[in-house]
Amino acid sequence: MTRPMRFLVRVGAMASKEVMHIRRDPRTLYMALAMPVVMLLIFGFGVSFDMDRIPLVVLDGDRSVASRALVRAVSAGHEFVIAADSDEATALRMIRRGQALAALAIPADYQRDLAAGRDGEVQLIVDGADGVVANQILAKIDGLVRAESLRRIDLAAEPPLQVKVFTLFNPEARSALFMVPGLAVYLLAIAAVLLTALTVSGEWERGSMEQLFASPVGRLEIVLGKLLPYLGLGMLQLLLVVAVGAVIFDVPIRGSVALLFFVGFLFLAGMLGQGLFISVVARSQLVATQAGALSSLLPSLLLSGMLVPIENMPRILQALSSVIPARYFVHAMRGIMLKGSGLSILWTDLVALTIFALAILALATTRFRRKLA
Amino acid sequence: MSELSIEAVHLSRRFGSFLAVDDVSFSAARGEIFGYLGANGAGKSTTIRMLCGLLAPTAGEARVAGFDVKTAPESVKASIGYMSQKFSLYLDLPVRDNLDFFGGAYGLSGPDFAARADEVLRLCDLEHERDAITGSLPGGIRQRLALGCAILHRPAVLFLDEPTAGVDPVSRRHFWRLIRRLAREGTTIFVTTHYLDEAEYCGRIGLMVDGRLVALDTPAALKRRYVPGRVLSVRGRNLASAAASLRSRPGIIAVEPFGAGLHLQVAAENWNADSVAQALASAGAQAVEVESGEPTLEDVFLAVVARPREVRHD
Repeated sequence: MTRPMRFLVRVGAMASKEVMHIRRDPRTLYMALAMPVVMLLIFGFGVSFDMDRIPLVVLDGDRSVASRALVRAVSAGHEFVIAADSDEATALRMIRRGQALAALAIPADYQRDLAAGRDGEVQLIVDGADGVVANQILAKIDGLVRAESLRRIDLAAEPPLQVKVFTLFNPEARSALFMVPGLAVYLLAIAAVLLTALTVSGEWERGSMEQLFASPVGRLEIVLGKLLPYLGLGMLQLLLVVAVGAVIFDVPIRGSVALLFFVGFLFLAGMLGQGLFISVVARSQLVATQAGALSSLLPSLLLSGMLVPIENMPRILQALSSVIPARYFVHAMRGIMLKGSGLSILWTDLVALTIFALAILALATTRFRRKLA
Repeated sequence: MSELSIEAVHLSRRFGSFLAVDDVSFSAARGEIFGYLGANGAGKSTTIRMLCGLLAPTAGEARVAGFDVKTAPESVKASIGYMSQKFSLYLDLPVRDNLDFFGGAYGLSGPDFAARADEVLRLCDLEHERDAITGSLPGGIRQRLALGCAILHRPAVLFLDEPTAGVDPVSRRHFWRLIRRLAREGTTIFVTTHYLDEAEYCGRIGLMVDGRLVALDTPAALKRRYVPGRVLSVRGRNLASAAASLRSRPGIIAVEPFGAGLHLQVAAENWNADSVAQALASAGAQAVEVESGEPTLEDVFLAVVARPREVRHD
């Protein structure tokens, strides 16, 4: 038999053994296929940054036609509900107890000031304990009050300046559109790193690695044989996650599906390489699981731009995020799915993912010595 | 190719300051069963790993199946079979899948390989277990499967690192029948064990003590050399104190506790079973029974371990 033929036979033997392991242990399939979908559903339905029905206390000191119009304007939509119409002490108590998140105070001479052509001033008291919530309340109140003041000016004359906002790509500001591509990345990263980390460290623990080293199987053959089945499984995961996003959360794929899967392939190769590297260094399933989960979970969640915009991070974290492959994949996924971006825009992401994948695979293969000591 | 399947010349391996294998030289001919005995930590596994190309020697040289383990480890690996201490099979897979995988690992495929796998199943008496999940099988059967996986590619040399540890006596006997058959067909067997009864099956035996090969010969020659004279096995009560008084008498070569009794090595011209029984009884032992027996390898092992220094300089 020729050398390349033997190489293929050995890689094939490694890969088909891996497939047999997966078939024998449905937990691996569950972890690889069901978990991401379940988590996608939980996060997709559960994590929403769109707040509505925020409990608001009204402190109307004026009780005039104008003040009632303002309260109506604020509470007419689904953003706020009036939790109470009361005094300042009650409002503060309710905010402290969490029964209300904000209070709107209208002074006694509100209508008189407006009538006299002076500025009408109202005060907003916000529970600032959760910064994200406070910011949303401020933005929402600001918009509603602005609309009310425009309406008042409109009664008199046409305002000189008007901003007409037109939001591209996600006009209803739905969290799902923004979250699903990011979540897909996160879930793939965890599954890919964990799966490979477990399978290689398992060979060490079982002692079968020593048996393999005593056979003519080369390290490249072991690495390829270990990676290929999980690469296939990862692509299946990607398909599933994208399909769940499209069917259940109505997330569009405006760009090329082929490009999406090609980027996914590069990302998965890098993540599988990372898992391999961890298991080569760790040699124990326990350590590999922990290191695998930590090294894929935290960076993919926090530094990828999935939850926190990278532009808002301190400079040092921005620098750190540039070596996290999830960052490029999140960017590319959002680009392809929401904006319909093509290669001309996303090529930098592709280059970064390719470099990471090649570097980590080379590192893992080099560190993977076929000697025992 | 030379008729020597294994040749080790001044082989040493150091781990930090610990010299695991110290200047070991030996050779094994084609079709020989070479036994390697020694206590845990004596350097048996380290020697095997160097010979299999898994561990680089710190000093010395070794050739296995005609290839240098340092310069051609890949050729060595392709010509040997290796069964490591905890025969590392994939317990979640059926017997046949394990064979298929190790066949593939040695680059075997196609109809020739399928026929060979069936042949190995027959040879190792595993035909009824071919579809059983390996983890559900008892140790003796797993051990035969591990052997089967190691011989699929018809290796010239087979390394077995404590192959029978934790296996019942019937299975061990069965296993050794297989080993002797392979040796008759021309496979060189290098086997470590600490079952001394098994070592009797070996053509030659090397004894390792603290990393050094302190004795090397056929079992019969080792016995003649290290257990000269007559071996008497003694049972009875209050033997220990009685034996102590016997130690200084002329013609008593060695007194070793052996199970619940004693093994005595005596010079044949001074002592026989009756005179030993009398001497022990008069020294205070009761219900003394003495049987003369053949020296065992255990007697050899105890004799060698008791005086490694003297032996080294021979």
